[in-house]
Amino acid sequence: MSKVGLIIKREYLSRVRKRAFIFMTILGPLLFAGLVAAAVFAVSVDSVEHKILIVDDQGIITRYDERIGQYLPTCPDCFPERDGYVYRFSDKALSDSTFINSDYTLMATVLEGVYDHKKAELYYKKVPSSSASNVIEGDLESALERAKVSKSNLDFDTYRTLKVNIQLSKYDIEKGEENAEGKAAVGLIFAVITFFFLFLFGAYVMRGVIEEKTNRIVEVIISSVKPFQLMIGKIIGVGLVAITQVLIWVVFSIIIFSIAGLLFENGAFSSAEAMAEIAEQQGGTANLDFESFLAQNKLTKILLDINWLQLLSMFVLYFVGGYILYSSLFAAIGSVVDSDTDSQQLMMPIMLPLFFAYIVAIMSVDNPEGTAAQIFSIVPFTSPTVMMVRISVGNVPIWELLLSVVLLITTCFFMVWLAAKIYRTGILMYGKRPTYRELWKWLFYKT
Amino acid sequence: MNALEAISIDKRYANHVALHDVNITVPEKSIFGLLGPNGAGKTSLIRIINRITGPDNGEIKFFGDALNPEHVNQIGYLPEERGLYKKMKVGEQALYLAQLKGMSKFDAKVKLNEWFERLEIGDWWNKKVEELSKGMAQKIQFVTTVLHEPRLLILDEPFSGFDPINTAIVRKEILRLRDQGSTIVLSTHNMGSVEEICDSIALINKSRVVLDGSVDEVRRRFNENEFLIRYEGSAVSLANSLWTNFELISNSRDEDEGDNEAIIKLRDERTLNDLLNTLTPNVQILEARPHIASMNDIFIQAVEQSKHTS
Repeated sequence: MSKVGLIIKREYLSRVRKRAFIFMTILGPLLFAGLVAAAVFAVSVDSVEHKILIVDDQGIITRYDERIGQYLPTCPDCFPERDGYVYRFSDKALSDSTFINSDYTLMATVLEGVYDHKKAELYYKKVPSSSASNVIEGDLESALERAKVSKSNLDFDTYRTLKVNIQLSKYDIEKGEENAEGKAAVGLIFAVITFFFLFLFGAYVMRGVIEEKTNRIVEVIISSVKPFQLMIGKIIGVGLVAITQVLIWVVFSIIIFSIAGLLFENGAFSSAEAMAEIAEQQGGTANLDFESFLAQNKLTKILLDINWLQLLSMFVLYFVGGYILYSSLFAAIGSVVDSDTDSQQLMMPIMLPLFFAYIVAIMSVDNPEGTAAQIFSIVPFTSPTVMMVRISVGNVPIWELLLSVVLLITTCFFMVWLAAKIYRTGILMYGKRPTYRELWKWLFYKT
Repeated sequence: MNALEAISIDKRYANHVALHDVNITVPEKSIFGLLGPNGAGKTSLIRIINRITGPDNGEIKFFGDALNPEHVNQIGYLPEERGLYKKMKVGEQALYLAQLKGMSKFDAKVKLNEWFERLEIGDWWNKKVEELSKGMAQKIQFVTTVLHEPRLLILDEPFSGFDPINTAIVRKEILRLRDQGSTIVLSTHNMGSVEEICDSIALINKSRVVLDGSVDEVRRRFNENEFLIRYEGSAVSLANSLWTNFELISNSRDEDEGDNEAIIKLRDERTLNDLLNTLTPNVQILEARPHIASMNDIFIQAVEQSKHTS
């Protein structure tokens, strides 16, 4: 094994074997899932029981069943049984006073010419939550869809296979804006993950460097390997720890949410709704209003609308690029200080662009096509987060993407070179912390 | 053959000169003492030999070849300020450091077991370094430094932190390594150990070599023409009998024996015979021999002298 390989191995194993790592890796997703479950539970406890009257005077989605003397939906599956939602059907709207005195909480009317103007009306006594109106909207939509398909000479299965494509183009044209925001929010999740890991694991690299320096083992090691090998070995080793943690979290999350999904399907919520709640949770941390697009089918549409192959491959690229960029700077800082507490002041020049990248990414969700998002998705220090938002929305011109990636890679090389210059001098310097002027001089020292 | 030659090495840092025209020669299979006060430039020279830094000028030859990156695997270095990973287990850490010096894991394990057995520290293998005392950790560091059987061993203050028993053990191991063919560069302030185990030395002060050669030669040369005279009689009559060509450096009286010891320096090509002729009428001479200075005295005097010349 090469010497860098040995260093990577040590850095990696010494971290993943730590109890804290194992603890966080296992507990992280569990804690997260617990929070989501608690939120879902809270919502389900709080939610109002809705009794909804669907009025369909055209007989588009209902038929009169003579045996029981009631109107029933032509597509019972479109109005599935859910906790908190009871549907009744009628061909006549209730008068206002009857509605008020009835035990119905909501009344939805399918208007004439619904396929043209695509409108239905919802009457309420108390303002329904957006998730309630979204559920009703979704149910009506699928019932109307089903009715329309059955009148055509398509069978529904064929339609379903076609449906995705049809709706993709439909949403791009008509509701482009709304979807863009939703997709941008998905991108923001990746941006936040990137920010979080750059910050956390960059600091790990820095602490590792400080540990070696204060331990004084560094001099022994650089009598065996070049300082650059030690630095890059540490950066790669810690980076692999980050990737391991992300992977384990992803696998764990999938398992946990699959289990949760099964539980919810048998219980109060469908898994799709649970998903919606999860998205709400994640969005909530970023202070975004997800309400408007959280209906299960809208979320699905958003998720289907994203170019996942591009997003994920770019995520890996920007994640790795951003990590190398920032962690090499963290390594350089670790090398010039004697202890953790000394590092605070020197960390400012790194923390500023990192936090700036985070904030711009959040703001880009509102306007992913804006000039700010455009510029900062190309600037290397902010691109790893901001570009995630833009890519998830799509429509990033190929030249911008290329320029951004090339700039990021070039800057990575430059930063590693710069950090190595500071590092190799810094690790052997004890006592007085160097000034920026001295750091500048170090760049030009001969080895 | 010389294990190491430093040829007119210059090294300057931003604010000061660390090494100026430094030349040293370390013969193969010997123990070489690199001496000098703190801040003289010893560590700078050691780091250049280890290729941690490079010289601004000059050249290092390693067994006759220009020093190159391949050579670091043949060097073992124990820095003065040393440490280990606190959270790592002893055995694991020793294996890691040995592999960084190019040993295979298997070889490293075999050698480590040998060393651990000889030093009777086998049961430390699975201990974390933070559980060890300072002396124990020092012992581990010594082992990791020599494990890969380097041709050149650079030990910076190897005895610091050891109790007398362990100092003796380490000294014995250093001599054993020399006898097995290693060349050892020893940097220390412990002049007693220099006299005991070093074959030759170089004394660096203020970035320059101010004294070098074999220990015996240096000691003899340093107090050339100084003689120790043990005599019976009064110190006053001894002093009165000396002419200007003889300088009385010191005189001390041993109360138990009732005799005196004087150290006298000869000038202007005077010989011991001249001195004895001068003294015999006045005092009873019991013993006369060349005065060989201790390394401690030499160190202090050499540093003092170079202070005046520079």
